[in-house]
Amino acid sequence: MAAAPEQDAPLALRSLAWACAAFGGGVLLHVDRVPPWASLTCLALIAWRLAAARRGLWLPGPIARSLLALCMAAVVLARFHTLNGLTAGTTLLLLMAALKLLETRRTRDELVLIGAGLFLLLAGCLDREDLARVPLYALQAWLCCAALAVLATPSLTSRAALTLAARTLLIALPLALALFVFFPRLPGSFWAIPRGSAALTGLSDSMTPGGIAQLVADYSTAFRVRFEGARPAALLYWRGPVLHEFDGRTWRRADTALRARPRVEFLGEPVRYHVALEPTRRRFWFVLDLPAQSAGARTSLSYDYTLVAADPVNEPTAYEGVSYLASRAVDPLGAGSRREDTALPGNANPRTRELAQRLYTQAGSDSAYVTAVLDYLRRGGFVYSLEPQPLGADAVDELLFRTREGFCGHYASAFVTLMRGAGVPARVVTGYLGGEWNPIGDFLEVRQADAHAWAEVWLQGRGWTRVDPTAVVAPERLTRGMLQLMPGAFSASERLLYGPGWLGGLLQRWEAANAWWADHVVRFDFASQLDLLTRLGFRAPDARYLGWGFTAALCAWLLFMAWSSARLGRRPRPDGLARAYQRLCAKLARVAPPRAPHQGPLAYAGTVLAARPDLRAAVQGLFERYAQLRFGAATPGAAEVADFARAVRRLTLPGSAGS
Amino acid sequence: MAAAAAKGSWRRLNPLQPLGDALRARTAAWVRRRQGEDLLPVELQRRRLYILPTRGGVAFGALVFVMLLAGLNYTNSLALFLTFLLAAFALVVMQLCHGNLLGVRVTALQAPAVFAQRPATLLVSLANDAATPRLRLEAGLEGAPRSRADLAGNGQVLLAVPIEPQPRGVLHIARVRISTAHPFGLFRAWTWVHAPLELLVYPAAVGTRPMPYGGSEHAGTRARGGTALDEWQGLRPFRDGDSPRQVDWKAYAREAPLLVKEYQPLGSELRWFDLAQLPGPDIEARLQQLARWVVDAEAGGEAYGLVLSGVRTASERGPEHRHRCLALLARFAETP
Repeated sequence: MAAAPEQDAPLALRSLAWACAAFGGGVLLHVDRVPPWASLTCLALIAWRLAAARRGLWLPGPIARSLLALCMAAVVLARFHTLNGLTAGTTLLLLMAALKLLETRRTRDELVLIGAGLFLLLAGCLDREDLARVPLYALQAWLCCAALAVLATPSLTSRAALTLAARTLLIALPLALALFVFFPRLPGSFWAIPRGSAALTGLSDSMTPGGIAQLVADYSTAFRVRFEGARPAALLYWRGPVLHEFDGRTWRRADTALRARPRVEFLGEPVRYHVALEPTRRRFWFVLDLPAQSAGARTSLSYDYTLVAADPVNEPTAYEGVSYLASRAVDPLGAGSRREDTALPGNANPRTRELAQRLYTQAGSDSAYVTAVLDYLRRGGFVYSLEPQPLGADAVDELLFRTREGFCGHYASAFVTLMRGAGVPARVVTGYLGGEWNPIGDFLEVRQADAHAWAEVWLQGRGWTRVDPTAVVAPERLTRGMLQLMPGAFSASERLLYGPGWLGGLLQRWEAANAWWADHVVRFDFASQLDLLTRLGFRAPDARYLGWGFTAALCAWLLFMAWSSARLGRRPRPDGLARAYQRLCAKLARVAPPRAPHQGPLAYAGTVLAARPDLRAAVQGLFERYAQLRFGAATPGAAEVADFARAVRRLTLPGSAGS
Repeated sequence: MAAAAAKGSWRRLNPLQPLGDALRARTAAWVRRRQGEDLLPVELQRRRLYILPTRGGVAFGALVFVMLLAGLNYTNSLALFLTFLLAAFALVVMQLCHGNLLGVRVTALQAPAVFAQRPATLLVSLANDAATPRLRLEAGLEGAPRSRADLAGNGQVLLAVPIEPQPRGVLHIARVRISTAHPFGLFRAWTWVHAPLELLVYPAAVGTRPMPYGGSEHAGTRARGGTALDEWQGLRPFRDGDSPRQVDWKAYAREAPLLVKEYQPLGSELRWFDLAQLPGPDIEARLQQLARWVVDAEAGGEAYGLVLSGVRTASERGPEHRHRCLALLARFAETP
């Protein structure tokens, strides 16, 4: 029965379903990023298209589709005010692909859908590179490839298509890894699509009394630190933005970046460490108090020892830091700095100023005054609370004399206001305190929940000195995590997850894996490539080595594939009987006409004997034995085959009839 | 090849069409030169397999390139890895596609003769010596639709490739294309089999002239009636071209189907169909009439012979003789 030619049949429901699956997987990858109505529209359109294919429902015509497309573009534009951002672009891609689904008529349209699925996968990779999402991405890639297989070969069962796609991807994996390692990375971008402007949680360059409280319940990672050598035993204050300007309620950074950085004398041993910073969309890099140098060409150390980068941190960023835990000023405080750091807004917080004047008069000196204020905070019945009562216009007055409850931001703000009220230069420093040591990965995990605010006071002869007023109000805050301190602020599941216990241990392992992933995969760049080459034994490698590595990997892989396909394409080795017969034919071909492809043994015997009648005695029997063994009723025994093979081997043929 | 003209109308509008055709012709000549003529059965070896991306494959490549740009632009490791994974995937697919065709044996090519303007078929027999099945093998002529079939492990398959209806004559099929895009449809591997193959196209069996009796001198001149001298043969169903005078109208009046009374003239068991005896300027129409007579005579179980340009065939009957006569008509060319 001959196979009939296939017509370009209307789309089979099965291949349409596979294309929809590939696209739907892409939609699901973005379900928590794009607006819910967009995802719902896509899923509804998929359901509609499948139902239409199955039951013959009505599908919109070209005019209706164009109108729908315009409407959707308008809605996206109205919602995002741009079509250029990652989220807006993804939303638009989703909706347009879903509309394309409505006009799938041919296989090519289905290929477009699979392409959309792959493109959504790319958008997902650009959006989030977490280790936790990698299995999802792998699934989506697998699904798209399997859909391609079904489209190309409709006779494949779904199971066979999935197996084929998985096998092919697994074979491709080693090459993909080699290409990934060796493909030279280019620093910088060709063009920039604006990233989503939605602020990420984290410290900002201003502080309102309630600001940090929002961070405290956020257990996501702010950055990870690896120390060269031992981890310092002291409390680790991670320095972020330093705030100078105060309007009575909010602390802000000063925009006077031109001021000279006062020289300091560093004391003790330097601490060297590597920071892996998660994206913050802000320009601050966090360093251990007090940084000795800026971390690279694209950053600068400002006059208040804040490390400020040229660009916002939009990608996971790694840098090296060198810090000292103690220092002493060399230069006196400049007049500008003194003016800036003793300024208080007009007549806000009058009672606080009054208190400051009183306490300073009693204390007599700057350092005694600091001690007195700390004493005041310790004894004044102040309570550490994450949900303090809201404060009015004179926030510091209300805190000190009415509510008497607050957390680090409140107390740092109050302390600095008291200092400035007495004319002592002081400033607020925001950053992180401590962090959780991960023994599995040997790194310090600093979370958003570790966000903290403290104060720095200028003391004659010592320079800027850190004072943490929270330490006197709630000393346990310094050594214990927020979870132990305020268990009520967390849900039961968070307590279970982040507390000690087996689940917490599991989480530490997971975080160690995440750290490894972030260090070795997400931030794998040109420097990492060169570092890898150095470790492979190349001295002073540069970009050319990468090119060679890339080419070598590609060639090696192609050679391997050629070798394996040669093995695959080789015909099975003929059995012993066939080999013996081939030898017989080869021997005969030297002295008689060769066997034609269509000739069986007896027909060939006829040809041979017609040309060389003198060979009858030698070969006639052999041909008959072969025909008997090969085509006879009984399966030939091994002994008989061996006997035949021996007879063929012994056969000697005279050159030609004449000789 | 006539089938090459069958593509959509846009090809006629394409200004680069002559260039493309010339290139194609040169490539075909080059392929023919380097492969030589094939003697069936042919095992498809590495040397004769060609492979290029399909349109889908080109689109896939473009997608991967865009991914590469995006990954490099954002120095996004995961996007780059995805890019390389898909690129490597495409390379593996290329190998698999090549392997799907490698080692397939083309055991036979056949183009059974047909009448003019009737759909023709090319039969392609493929065999698989490997244990792995080879899915979605395609066979076809240049520029014509392909037929597809799956070839089981250690199995055989017969593919019927449609050929467009042809005018009378001999269609020389210079080469047959065996191809595959399995798996994933990103690449298509193909080979050309240059086995000399002819499709005989008989003249269409059309004509209304009555069949001549006896010798060639009577060809086309003697009306067929039921004279007393003729021997009654029986009734047969009505066929186009039968004279109304032969119809058994009485039987028709009894609501029987339209039947024709057949007589065998006494003393003339064989019929000679002579081209020269047929009037008219149109040689094709005369050949068609001859074909009609051959078909009718064979169906009537009579012995017959052809006289073409004075050359006589044997007078026989049977399917082989019918084919011989029709083949002569198919190959007939007027010598001026």
